[in-house]
Amino acid sequence: MTTELEQPDPRVRRLKGVVIRFAGDSGDGMQLTGDRFGAQAAEAGNDVATLPDFPAEIRAPAGTVGGVSSYQLHVADHDITTPGDQPDVLVAMNPAALKATLKDLRPGGVLIVDSGAFNVRALEKAGYDSDPLTDGSLSNYILHAVDLTGLAVGATEGLGLKRKDAARTKNMFALGLVSWMFNQPIESTVAYLEKRFAKKPPEILAGNLASLRAGVDYGDTTEAFAVSYEVKPAPLPPGTYRHMRGNRAIAFGLVAAAHQAGMPLFLGAYPITPATDVLHELSKLISHDVRSYQAEDEIAAIGAAIGGAFAGMLAVTVTSGPGMALKSEAIGLAISLELPLVIVNVQRGGPSTGLPTKTEQSDLLQSLYGRHGEAPLPVLAAQSPADCFNAAFEAAQIALERRTPVILLSDSYIANGSEPWKVPDVSELPDLGIEFATEPNGVGKDGKPAFHPYKRDPRTLARPLAIPGTPGLEHRIGGLEKADGSGEISHDADNHDLMVRTRQNKVDGIEVPPLEVDDPSGPPGFGSKLLVIGWGSTYGPIGAACRLVRQQGLAIAQAHLRYLNPLPANLASILAAYDTVLVPEMNLGQLGGLLRMHCQIEPVGYTQTRGLPFRAVELAAVFTRLVNDLEDGAAALSTEDIKAIGGTGKVGRSELGSEKNK
Amino acid sequence: MPYVVTSPCIDVKDGACLDECPVDAIYEGARKLYINPNECTECGACASACPIGAIMLDLEVPKPERPFVKTDKEFFSKALPGRDEPLGDPGGAKAAGKIGVDTPFVAEFQAAE
Amino acid sequence: MTSADAGGKQLTAKDFSAGEARWCPGCGDHAILNNMRNLMPTLGIPRENFVVISGIGCSSRLPYYLDTYGMHSIHGRAPSIATGVSINRPDLSVWVVTGDGDALSIGGNHLIHALRRNVNLKILLFNNQIYGLTKGQFSPATKPGTITPSSPFGSLDHSFNPLALALGAEASFVARTVDTDRKHMMEILAAAAAHNGSALVEIRQNCPTFNHGERAVTADTSVPTPADGPIRLEAGSPILFGADSQWAVLRDAETGDLKLGRSTEKGVVVHNPRSTSPTYAYALARIADTEPELAPIGVYRAVERPSFDNQYQDRLADARAGGRGDLQDLLTGNDSWTVPARS
Repeated sequence: MTTELEQPDPRVRRLKGVVIRFAGDSGDGMQLTGDRFGAQAAEAGNDVATLPDFPAEIRAPAGTVGGVSSYQLHVADHDITTPGDQPDVLVAMNPAALKATLKDLRPGGVLIVDSGAFNVRALEKAGYDSDPLTDGSLSNYILHAVDLTGLAVGATEGLGLKRKDAARTKNMFALGLVSWMFNQPIESTVAYLEKRFAKKPPEILAGNLASLRAGVDYGDTTEAFAVSYEVKPAPLPPGTYRHMRGNRAIAFGLVAAAHQAGMPLFLGAYPITPATDVLHELSKLISHDVRSYQAEDEIAAIGAAIGGAFAGMLAVTVTSGPGMALKSEAIGLAISLELPLVIVNVQRGGPSTGLPTKTEQSDLLQSLYGRHGEAPLPVLAAQSPADCFNAAFEAAQIALERRTPVILLSDSYIANGSEPWKVPDVSELPDLGIEFATEPNGVGKDGKPAFHPYKRDPRTLARPLAIPGTPGLEHRIGGLEKADGSGEISHDADNHDLMVRTRQNKVDGIEVPPLEVDDPSGPPGFGSKLLVIGWGSTYGPIGAACRLVRQQGLAIAQAHLRYLNPLPANLASILAAYDTVLVPEMNLGQLGGLLRMHCQIEPVGYTQTRGLPFRAVELAAVFTRLVNDLEDGAAALSTEDIKAIGGTGKVGRSELGSEKNK
Repeated sequence: MPYVVTSPCIDVKDGACLDECPVDAIYEGARKLYINPNECTECGACASACPIGAIMLDLEVPKPERPFVKTDKEFFSKALPGRDEPLGDPGGAKAAGKIGVDTPFVAEFQAAE
Repeated sequence: MTSADAGGKQLTAKDFSAGEARWCPGCGDHAILNNMRNLMPTLGIPRENFVVISGIGCSSRLPYYLDTYGMHSIHGRAPSIATGVSINRPDLSVWVVTGDGDALSIGGNHLIHALRRNVNLKILLFNNQIYGLTKGQFSPATKPGTITPSSPFGSLDHSFNPLALALGAEASFVARTVDTDRKHMMEILAAAAAHNGSALVEIRQNCPTFNHGERAVTADTSVPTPADGPIRLEAGSPILFGADSQWAVLRDAETGDLKLGRSTEKGVVVHNPRSTSPTYAYALARIADTEPELAPIGVYRAVERPSFDNQYQDRLADARAGGRGDLQDLLTGNDSWTVPARS
């Protein structure tokens, strides 16, 4: 492909970046199609960010708007952080998919529809009164009505496929066509399909490959697609890269941590969307001494993990919001036992079942405070799909070093999203090994040497761990309060007060890297007047929006929190250096409230809980307005102002424990 | 750490403890009751039932009463006067019936005035 | 086989003792603890390889008094925590200590799933038919109609039959013993320890404070009375009881149900805990429903079924047969690409 670049084909138009969305029925294979397109683009050296979006039901009623499944990709020749706001290209496999997603397509964008799926019945199901392909309502777009189903069936003729199975290869036809449009080689997809369908009847593979190739050929030979596009490879730093999804990155981060600690990895889990993929990934890795165990419920899952930790494993449990609620009593036990444990919460829309397949950041305060008693634990959040690897590795590192449960927050957006990930060199990963106790460290009441499980390391306040099977160190731990040092049951008031404070000090004492501010206009207090601070998956949209603001010649500062507990020591002083601190969040202002409490500042929130990530252009509009207001000497953005500039979120003080919106 | 019946029981044998022992481990000699140290589960029901405070954990027995720790043990481990075999661990006092004799120590015991 | 310390010294009950138990005087828990202390040194397992995990309740204090590795966890969850220990560490002997409230009420789900999986746990279910620690409310094992502080007009709950429940959950070893019979309990606990897979032992016990058993006295000699008990189950022997073995467990020729009757009648049952079908053990367990004071004691069922632990460890061993997977290979995968250094 690079050689072709040097001798450009006149029919090829180069793009800096493009946003493509595949949309269809949840049975149409849109996730696979999008995933393969992203993988092809990443292998071709593009930077790729993806956003799958699928219905909560496994099979919502076919052909309805509620059953539409889509997959959006942002492919660019430069470092990108979001899957894009508005698609430039939309592939709609049926009327319902068109109905559900057309509003997002950029005016003038390319629209490819499967005309074979536009029959009267399908139009009616999708709620169309007239056929949009013929009624002129799509005149704002470059419309390609292609009988994808019919062409796919034709391409597979003679291979022995049943009509239904032949029609199902239409997604591969669409992938072939779009791959041609963007000059992407399909070889890796061919290899992928060969593996995926290896155990199926041979005609299934043959049919899918035939449709894929027919799609490419169709683009090449059809006058309608006179011009194809090409996105140049992004200038990534040198290294080995891989297309990585957030949930897989978490699994890999944990496996790497166990490897570096020299311990087996033990996962206790119960299936829950959108965390289940971590269970799936880890279940495959048995040859890496990963022991995965599917328990009878969320409580048993963390129970088994606690048992595994006591037995000397690097123990992990993965879940989402409702599962976290069920685990909270056991998390309290793990805090009391002071055992290493990584708890992964892949957040979704709540409360209750909420929006199980949609993203949200609304479990921050649950993670920090959602337990009985004074129950502090470290909390950190991953900021992008590839970052999930490092975040999971660090969570395990803290858990092992401090002998504490650690909560790692991800969310549905980065769990299912993907981006190029620079594969780490294993020889450069830090050693996480800890020493288990093998000798008594105290003297018992009988004057003999004894093991005192709560005799702490004076620096880290971590307690010694003696695992069962170690002779002479037999001891009991449990949820009842223990005497400092000896670990005997203690109901003593002073001892309890000491232990409560010690557990808090242990977590507070974790060394967290200082918060860094990205502001080309100057250091805190000397550059921008506005600081935008976020946590977790908003990193991408906030960063993209800041870049858009800076492209207009305006100054804006960005900071992002990985550690939510403890917070970086320099946080308050950094925030105090700005006139206005804006906190965009996919909740009602949980971080905003936290900052007010910890830093005695009055941040401005920009919040939404719409199940989808922030759009960069929307954030950029809000940021721009605020920067301009600050230059004018006032920052009084109202909800009406937000509406006027096309925003969908709410602005104002954190809505938690505070007056309502200004 | 079984419970032990000490000197106040001698010639009193109130017997309140007999009904309380959940494992029937208290045996009746001629002058005193004896707790089988192997059958005792240390539950303490006997101690709280005893109206004269004669029963206590072996570790808590005061020095002057220490010989009773040994004599309760020997009541079962050594052949009693007039018998060829030690009593052993019969596994229940009711089935064993009244033993009717004491250890030589108890038989000759004189309470200090 | 017995346990010895590193210096070869024979361990005794004293070596397994960790402090004075704090249960009410007369509580059956004392007897169980005492028997555990005496049993453990005789099992040939090093002391450091015992792990005793409990939930919440009076019974669940037991690990604190045994000088082994132990954990006093949270209400009802001990089987799940013990599972995490046991499946990862086949070298350990893992025991669960639980009560009728802990195991049958709040922890019912974990109990049935541990038994279903046949995790290699020795589960001791202390059944005093009452919530003791919270001062005497009715439990799932309490007889209906029992007056307690939370059921001042009598409890309405139908009670669980713990053994029938365990058998329904496909337990491979199910037994009952009583706190007052030291010899019997020791035999049953030893049999449970020797079983590969889940072993559920119900230990019927007295709560002297909140559920002091008052035995019904009847002069009627045409039916067996509690005084004729207990009914002892011995593998291979007819199930006879009463001072003169005048009573027996009989099989009703028409219904196949088990009932109590005179040993001279037809259909005296010969006990077979290894019957492949659980139906017999289930019928035996149901006798406790109609004759609670005569609930048979002994091993109801003991069958071989692959333990979860063994299968789990076998699978791990198979997967690592060719050595542990290479982490760098895993991370790099076969779909990576290289961005060369720009010159």
